[in-house]
Amino acid sequence: MELYHVELLSAALFAIGIYGVLARRNSVLILISIELMLNAVNINAVAYSAFLDPGRLVGQVITIFVITVAAAEVGLAMAIILRLYRTMSTANADEADSMKW
Amino acid sequence: MPAEVRFDLLWPEFLVAGLAFAIFTLDFFLRPERKNILGWISAIGLLYIIAFTIPFLNDESESLFGGLYRVDDYALFFKVLSMAIGGAVILGSIHYVGKYLTHPGEYYAIILLSVLAMMMMAASGELLTAYLSLELLSFCLYILSGFALHDRKSSEASVKYILLGAFSSGLLLYGIVLMYGAMGTTNFAEMAAFLDGHGEINGRLLIGLTLLVTGLGFKMAAVPFHMWAPDVYEGAPMPITAYIAVGSKVAAFALVLRLFAEGLLPAIDQWNILIAGMAAVTMLFGNVVALAQTNIKRMLAYSSVGQVGFLLMGVASLSTLSSNGLMVHLVGYSATNLAVFFAIIAFYNYTGKEEISDFAGLASRSPFLAAAITISLFSLAGLPFLAGFVTKFYLFSAAAAEDLLWLAGVAMVASLISLYYYLKVARQMYISPATEGEDSTIKVPALLYGLVGVMVIIVILIGLYPEPLVNLIEDATAVILPGGDASALSLR
Repeated sequence: MELYHVELLSAALFAIGIYGVLARRNSVLILISIELMLNAVNINAVAYSAFLDPGRLVGQVITIFVITVAAAEVGLAMAIILRLYRTMSTANADEADSMKW
Repeated sequence: MPAEVRFDLLWPEFLVAGLAFAIFTLDFFLRPERKNILGWISAIGLLYIIAFTIPFLNDESESLFGGLYRVDDYALFFKVLSMAIGGAVILGSIHYVGKYLTHPGEYYAIILLSVLAMMMMAASGELLTAYLSLELLSFCLYILSGFALHDRKSSEASVKYILLGAFSSGLLLYGIVLMYGAMGTTNFAEMAAFLDGHGEINGRLLIGLTLLVTGLGFKMAAVPFHMWAPDVYEGAPMPITAYIAVGSKVAAFALVLRLFAEGLLPAIDQWNILIAGMAAVTMLFGNVVALAQTNIKRMLAYSSVGQVGFLLMGVASLSTLSSNGLMVHLVGYSATNLAVFFAIIAFYNYTGKEEISDFAGLASRSPFLAAAITISLFSLAGLPFLAGFVTKFYLFSAAAAEDLLWLAGVAMVASLISLYYYLKVARQMYISPATEGEDSTIKVPALLYGLVGVMVIIVILIGLYPEPLVNLIEDATAVILPGGDASALSLR
């Protein structure tokens, strides 16, 4: 297995995540797509660390922090989406349009 | 790596974090009607920490944790500035929180945590540390912008902010990791050494750099990544709008300036066109769209998008001169925007209105507020004898001196456009008569009176006598750009 195999996998995952963020209407699905992007980052970080920088653990440390931050982010985002649902009875990002321009 | 980490240099951070948790705890023991006192405790606590920090860290220069965290004059400058902004915003919210918001304990404590994040952003010397402090700041702001629990707009603003913010952190992180892959390090100093050494710029590095700039562009609301800004500014509680406009910009530029000066300066030819283009589009777009706004918060949102364009100009032409200009402008911008927002908060606390047309006849309803808003809007537009003129002069002349004369020209045009919509507000206040039934004198509480007064005095002082501020800033930039002008020029 070469480095570019892993890089391609990670780039594909990242692209799918970006597509999801742009194409989904439901806030929760947007959030899941963002998780895909962050996991692409994790794969890349570990791969670089293993292939290019084997003596140190920088990539692994990045991964651990990213996983932690992502977990916190999901918790916070779900709470905020729940608040939107309670006030507007919808969790769709495109129906939250009381402010424009 | 030094054998022993000097944890004592982190006292200011420990104290701010401790203050935040003390507020969280005190919140349990106070009866609801006494909770206003938490605001006073936080603000006075921050004041004490500032008084402690300045002599304590003055002229310290130390890298902690093997270069992850810097303690130097540059960080000190931004630490004090962040704490001052945080304290001012807390004082400015006391009346607003009492009137419109619930849960004051959490409100003040989260502001204190975001001050901590801003202090860490200015001090981080490594990409992952920078990212973590940036996320701490963003998380605090996501919560704060949704703090008006029963207001539709506030929830909506918060959702938009967190979805776009999380998306932009994804881009930022992918950029960070690609740059790590290209250079084998995330430390700013080692990045500069790598770029200086081989100068090998491969695709990984370029894509990483682009994604990094995109992610940071989202965080500081540069066009075309500004879409969240107007909605969040409009929906968030008003003191938080002020805080996002001032605090998050100061912190983001503290980070960007250190990253580009310490880490990426050797590759300036790769990114300066990117940043310069973004700056030009940002300043023009922000100021032109602001012309059409009818809500004062939305107008100020686009105006601050425009200001980000001016500030980015200082990054695009990175040198000692222009980073001095950038920091001077950042301080002037903070004081001016806080003055406008405090005056608008006083107006909103009394009337509950925020359309520009509601300001009709303000000159007779409250001459003090009208004068304060006019002075600070003129300062934002850059009229002489006010902070905006001096700071824009520093910034524009720095850009012109660094071969970006065209960008300085665009900035002049953008400034002229901005004068038009600032004057529209002044016209409402001084020429249009007040609407029938809404012409009572506005009562301004002594606290807000004092805050607006102090901010306006700072605006005028910077405008008339900027030398002490400039001297402080020259000491600060000497740390991140040690070679001075000579090294920056030799790169060309």
